[in-house]
Amino acid sequence: MLEPIARAVQNNGVFRAICRPLANTWVNLSGYRRLGLRYDDLLREETPIIQEAIARLNRDETDGRVYRHKRAFQLSLSHQELPSSQWTKPQDDYKYLQPLIEEVRLEQEERDAFNSMTTTVRK
Amino acid sequence: MFHAKPLGKLAAPLSARAYASVSGSAPVISTANSIKVAALSGATDSPLASVSLVINAGSRYETGENAGAAHFLKAFGFRNTQTRTSFRTIREAELNGATLTAEATRENITFTVQCFKEAVPYFVEVLGDIAVATKFTEHEFKDVARLVAFESLGARSDSSARVLDGVHQAAFRGGLGNSLYALESSPITSGDAVRRYAETAVAPGRLAVVATGVDAQELANLVSSSRLASLTSSASTLSSPSATFTGGVQQIYESAAPISHYALAFASGSASAKPLAALLGAQSRVKWSTTGVAPLSKLAATEGFGISPFSFSYSDAGLVGLVVSAPRSQIKGAVEKIAGAIQRDIASAGAEAVQRAAAAARVDMAESLATQQGQIRALTGLALGQKSGVTLESVDDAAAKLSAEAAKVFKSKPVAVSVGLSQDTPYVDTLGF
Repeated sequence: MLEPIARAVQNNGVFRAICRPLANTWVNLSGYRRLGLRYDDLLREETPIIQEAIARLNRDETDGRVYRHKRAFQLSLSHQELPSSQWTKPQDDYKYLQPLIEEVRLEQEERDAFNSMTTTVRK
Repeated sequence: MFHAKPLGKLAAPLSARAYASVSGSAPVISTANSIKVAALSGATDSPLASVSLVINAGSRYETGENAGAAHFLKAFGFRNTQTRTSFRTIREAELNGATLTAEATRENITFTVQCFKEAVPYFVEVLGDIAVATKFTEHEFKDVARLVAFESLGARSDSSARVLDGVHQAAFRGGLGNSLYALESSPITSGDAVRRYAETAVAPGRLAVVATGVDAQELANLVSSSRLASLTSSASTLSSPSATFTGGVQQIYESAAPISHYALAFASGSASAKPLAALLGAQSRVKWSTTGVAPLSKLAATEGFGISPFSFSYSDAGLVGLVVSAPRSQIKGAVEKIAGAIQRDIASAGAEAVQRAAAAARVDMAESLATQQGQIRALTGLALGQKSGVTLESVDDAAAKLSAEAAKVFKSKPVAVSVGLSQDTPYVDTLGF
């Protein structure tokens, strides 16, 4: 119900034009890049869909993800930040997991649709 | 949302000239990008049809870098494509009452759908997607690799499959000698590696779409409107050394097997392999008769061991021979007796025996052509130019020259493969060929 509305707002040109300049500031303020993380590292991973998506990551992405997590835990424990030269660069902060989550979500949806399908006899 | 797409009216009366049985003149149509299409409309009152996508990229086209790729490519059939998930393909097949199968031979990989006539347009689309848009994702590769490993293990623990694989290896070495199965040592370890093999394999010149219960022209139109039409005719880089019969011995030591197997295989023409195997004589056609009149089966029955003749026809070679199976203590004697009988009775078979063999080969062929599977095989052969031994006419031609062929083939030097306790099996050069 809310999802289509959210999507319509997101795709609205005026809304985007207003938000765009704020977005980078917002991301910088949120601070995860200072710990060397990517946005997709922060997604809640305790759901079956995201677990499956993580399982489908290739070896390099998995290794990178684990490394970033460990480094961030360590920094957080010792109340430190990375030197600014090692902060996650905007071009590195790409969506490496979200496409897979979307793929798995669609598969689940398809499965549910087939499982609750009703058939009609052709006249 | 997931209702099957509206299907075209394929069951409607089709073009004027429809072929009801396979013959050398069955129509093979080439589409605009030279994909071969062959079909039999068959009985008009039957609602059944089948469509197959054939990729001429069986194990004989593998090299050291991609050994086993054909087996993996076969196992990737009907998996996720750009357009639909494998879950969806399978559910929709089930809703349509269709059966999906994938088969790999040394020359071809075949994906077959058996379905009702009105579902044919939909499944041509599915098969086109398989050829062009399979994703070969890594998470699917894990499943596929498990399946492949299981099939390979099954083949390795089946002595008769092993002996026939060994026969090819001994007879042809590379090319046709490649194993049908991906071994544990296969260099194929990722979906990408399978994709690379598929990309070289899926070239229009290597593809055929064959169908039964469908008119050939109608099928060609469906193929032209599927994704297959997007393939450009670039030459495929796959190649296979032409088959030369090298001869040799392979001994596979397996101490756990209670029964030893010993295969003798001779080089023959590709069309004459079937009638020659019939001449070696196998199953008696008279029920409950264990002996029959064929000299080899009579010998086997009285001595108490098993024989099973085999024949293989390929585009450029044929193999004919038999597997002798006996407890390890008897295998040596059994093989020696059989080898003697082949030289004595089969190489110079009498007119009556030749006629019996020709008739048996003819019946076998006719029987096979009456089945959907046999028709698919024959149409594949016609479409891809692997013609010999797929039609009744070619069996007849070969049968006419049978006694001269037998004299030539069964006096040549065979290859020998043994599975079991190798100390007890004779070497092929002691058998007198």
